[in-house]
Amino acid sequence: MIVVVGLSHQTAPLEIREALAFPKERLGEALAKVREETGLTEAMILSTCNRVEIYGRAPEPRAETVGEFLARYHDQPIDDLEKYLYRHEGDAAVRHAFRVAASLESMVLGESQILGQVKRAYEAAEEAGSLGSVLNALKNRTYGAAKRARTETAIGRNAVSVSHVAVELARKIFGDLKDRAVLLVGAGKMSEVAARQMVKDGARAAVLGGRTLEKAEQLAATLGGRSAPLEALRTEIEKVDVVISGTGASGLVVHRADVEAAQAARRHRPLFLIDIAVPRDIEPSAGKVQGVFLYDIDDLKSVSDANLRVRQKEAASAESIVDQEIRGFLDWRHSLDVVPLLVELRGRAEEIRRGEIEKARRRLGPLTPEQEKAVDALTSGIVNKLLHSPTVRLKEMAQNGHHEEYVGLIRKLFGL
Amino acid sequence: MDSGAYLFLSLICYAVGAVHVLVHVITRRRLLTTLTIASTLLGFAFHTAALSQRWTEAGHFPSTGLHDGASLLAWGTVLVFLLVYLSTRVDALGLFAYPFTFVLVLMASLSPEGPPPDSVLRGLFMPVHTVLAVFGYGALFAAFTMGVLYLIQENELRSRSPRRFYYMIPSLERLDTIGGRSVIGGFAFLTLAILTGFHWNMSLNGRYWTGDPKEWAALAAWVIYVVQITARFRAGWGGRRAAWLGIAGFGIVVFTFAWATLVPSVAAAAR
Repeated sequence: MIVVVGLSHQTAPLEIREALAFPKERLGEALAKVREETGLTEAMILSTCNRVEIYGRAPEPRAETVGEFLARYHDQPIDDLEKYLYRHEGDAAVRHAFRVAASLESMVLGESQILGQVKRAYEAAEEAGSLGSVLNALKNRTYGAAKRARTETAIGRNAVSVSHVAVELARKIFGDLKDRAVLLVGAGKMSEVAARQMVKDGARAAVLGGRTLEKAEQLAATLGGRSAPLEALRTEIEKVDVVISGTGASGLVVHRADVEAAQAARRHRPLFLIDIAVPRDIEPSAGKVQGVFLYDIDDLKSVSDANLRVRQKEAASAESIVDQEIRGFLDWRHSLDVVPLLVELRGRAEEIRRGEIEKARRRLGPLTPEQEKAVDALTSGIVNKLLHSPTVRLKEMAQNGHHEEYVGLIRKLFGL
Repeated sequence: MDSGAYLFLSLICYAVGAVHVLVHVITRRRLLTTLTIASTLLGFAFHTAALSQRWTEAGHFPSTGLHDGASLLAWGTVLVFLLVYLSTRVDALGLFAYPFTFVLVLMASLSPEGPPPDSVLRGLFMPVHTVLAVFGYGALFAAFTMGVLYLIQENELRSRSPRRFYYMIPSLERLDTIGGRSVIGGFAFLTLAILTGFHWNMSLNGRYWTGDPKEWAALAAWVIYVVQITARFRAGWGGRRAAWLGIAGFGIVVFTFAWATLVPSVAAAAR
């Protein structure tokens, strides 16, 4: 039986998630401990900033014990944790595993990091030797489902973080960003994230420093670009296609006149101005200059909202894909439940057949090879025909999950 | 099978494309891309067969009258669409090309086959000249589509709250580049078409210019190409202004063609 116990951004506040997180370097030890203390035969721990979950395989229901382990391991009283924890067993646990990996349970719907985090969690479990056939199968099927959901729907297609929205807009204007030039005015974190992505796409970067040039130089070095003092603004804008401005200045930094001069020199080719500063750095009317696309932080947010709405629409299709995959996995799991019984049943039948042939041979005396063959074919035929229908039915029932009572009945009837 | 049957088969194949565009716009999904391209290729094959069959049946190159003219124009448009798609993978051209083609082929299927043209129109010059002209117009149509898509996308970008077209249409740069290439390609084809046309006129009528509506349309298109190429490559007009030129160019050609065809005196006076 597969179990999942844990908590997430949907059930627990950040402090609790932090308190229960498993540091990467202690995962191996924690995995060993959880198996030892709770009787799980296989285990995996997924610990990200938005969720902490223990996945396991147990011979019988174990969710209670795993929950207690989680509290004990982090020195938290279980009674306090109780209201944040969820526990899933069997089919519900499988369903949860699939949905998490496919980012249907993520804080930002459709975000792509979760699959990587799940992968690393399985890798850590593999290293710790706590993966067996069941979690391995679960791993492979959840990857497959998550990938299908991503490629067959647009759930992860459009950016929702402000920095990535800026990069995507740049791509919508310039297509390929290869050999495009991006100018950073001020060296903020958000500009850096956007610029880094553009550089990765092949753009060249330049950084203009504010009060201290030192910070600009450092950032330029990590982006593989050059730096210049803020006074060079007007000549620098002429040379670039994208400007990301994010200084802490209280007044305007880029004026309409600067942009007009630059556009005249650039023959009004498209120029993308991104103002992520609050208060704003770029004069709003600069957006009216021919060829200029000006986005401030609110504009970026409104694009991000629109993208999120697309994702929410796509989530329905992603859900049905994941549901299909879950059903496939569960059918397969259930069909395994009857395999031991079928093997036993076949074995018993074969045993009887051989015994009866022996008896007959004693009575009949030696047989010719042809006769030997005919007797063998006759008896096998009877056995196979008799067992065919129960075998097929049992497999069917297993796939529908209705097999348990019949398994007992068959054991009784056949004396297994 | 006769040419009408082939044309009907191609109409069905193109209908898949037209439906695809509809589904694409409504659901924002690329549900049918492989299927549509396959069906368009198949439709194009049937269409080519229809043209070739019609050529055999009629005994002359089928390019006069509504039936043959619309069919041939559709054929050229599909070819240009396929060339653009296969070389750039930009399928947004289909937003216009599929419905346009579908309507043209539908018109061709519903209209009767025209009477045979004068015997002077038979011969090899006709197909060469006409196919060159069809390519020229097809490219002009591509430039027109790119222009419209450019303006839509630019509008989406300026609105700051993207709606469905933002996600569907490629980048401004891409549209501008393809538009520019269409203009160059179209200019080359149209120039050749006009030169062969002059030569042909000369050998038939002893004059280069007869005042036929097609001549006016061709001349208008050619002038527009010259303006566009000059603006784009000499004056650095790209983007928005080039987009408007592309749209205006196609509009003027359609207008000239309609005007010259609908005002019979123009054509009659020339005969």
